[in-house]
Amino acid sequence: MADYRELWDSLDMDLEKHDQLCEVLPEFYGDIYMTQENRAEGMNYFNFVVSEIHGLRIKELNEHRKDGGKVFGSFCVFVPDEVIMAADGIGVGLCGGSDFWVPDGEKVLPRNMCPLIKASVGAKLSGTCPYFQSADMLVGETTCDGKKKAWEILGEYTPMHVMDLPQMKREKDYTHFKEEINTFKEKVEDLTGNKITLESLKEKIKLVNDKRRVLQRLYDARKSDKLPISGKDSLLITQVAFYDDPNRFIQKTNELCDELEERIEKNISVFKDDTPRILLTGTPMAIPNWKMHHLIETSGGAVVCEEACTGTKYFERLVDENITDLDSGLQALSDRYMGINCACFSPNEGRIEDIIRLYKEYNADGVIYNSLPFCHTYAIEYKKVKDALDKEGIPVMMIESDYSMQDAGQINTRLEAFFEMISMNKELAI
Amino acid sequence: MRKQTYILFPSHSDGLALEKKLKEKSIKYIISPTPRSLSKCCGISIIIDPELQYLVEEIVEQNKDIEVSGIHTIEKKARNWFK
Repeated sequence: MADYRELWDSLDMDLEKHDQLCEVLPEFYGDIYMTQENRAEGMNYFNFVVSEIHGLRIKELNEHRKDGGKVFGSFCVFVPDEVIMAADGIGVGLCGGSDFWVPDGEKVLPRNMCPLIKASVGAKLSGTCPYFQSADMLVGETTCDGKKKAWEILGEYTPMHVMDLPQMKREKDYTHFKEEINTFKEKVEDLTGNKITLESLKEKIKLVNDKRRVLQRLYDARKSDKLPISGKDSLLITQVAFYDDPNRFIQKTNELCDELEERIEKNISVFKDDTPRILLTGTPMAIPNWKMHHLIETSGGAVVCEEACTGTKYFERLVDENITDLDSGLQALSDRYMGINCACFSPNEGRIEDIIRLYKEYNADGVIYNSLPFCHTYAIEYKKVKDALDKEGIPVMMIESDYSMQDAGQINTRLEAFFEMISMNKELAI
Repeated sequence: MRKQTYILFPSHSDGLALEKKLKEKSIKYIISPTPRSLSKCCGISIIIDPELQYLVEEIVEQNKDIEVSGIHTIEKKARNWFK
């Protein structure tokens, strides 16, 4: 793989440190993912994507840049990919899901900050993430105070654009976000040198909607009594959706869904009958944060849905495809994105409604509310969510955890007790 | 732990070319990250049942355009990361 080393070198990466990461990641993935039994053959594509995570896709980004194209790195489901693509740019979601990057993040950030932000900043500072190194511009947003201030620091290392996301959902907030999308559009046009047209925007709205449709198809398969795919695999697919080539992703995920639907018809499941079905809600899980899913699915549960940015928030609801001019296109984007029920909004009753709706749609038995440490909006919102779920008689448990391994035993014990309680309740109900 | 045979490639395109052949011949395989013990490259390898190695060698022999950089059979023990 000498060609990748040359490529990484050209991206000004710290090859020695990156080598340490390469030493861990494949083994970590192998032990977490490849030990699952009876996986669908379609998962081979995702094994491939992860195996080539710092290879093929980086090469593609590099070729795009050599041809004069631009790459935009983002961290949040509010950054509209449609705008980037309509100007022939490539958007990639950036990593931040490993302890590996935390110490470098802590060099410039306070320790009492969420691991996602520390890891993201650390990934840039350590020069070990080729996606950060390939980005011509990073796009931040104001979804939390930690991120908002971290962008100011990250901006010293790399060109940065920040979108101001409103924190309420009044009519004027929708108008404001539409204006923010317009400002972002102008920024993207400047950097790429390409004007966004009605046709190009329409085309990319359709493409990103197609990506949303295939993810919904995947999630629909998880509504089945016989689960044809693990939650861990589904999480991986959602994570890959953020940075893979969209056309290839849509094709390969559709192929996988064909197989999953065939499995459902044949009653093939990757879990034994009566495995407690868990709706997971809470903070985003950036690649390679697979910890909570792994712990749940090795403690006797199955994750059937994620009400999270790496889950339904990313793909539910489509952008209106019937736009007639650029202005209506921006309006359609604002309407769709402002519909996401992020905990940064106040009030945020919509999220509670989503959780209850998804719990029913996916026939879940319990809810696990997962929060990263120091993620105040999600941690505080737990009370409102718990009160509402208690009223509905829905079992819920909160787990706060970072990327470290030390608390796994404790979490396992709590999970096992939670699943036992769910199973007992089900027996009593019969 | 069961023994597994890993096929290593100089590039991902060779791996995908072999995958295509394995699919055509209905030979069971899994695409996997290459274990560090076998190579320092961060790339793909293909896992097959050791008993099927001869079939893969035949395919490689017949398809000179598919380059393989090694075939290794190892006993791989999974590590419990969250312990």
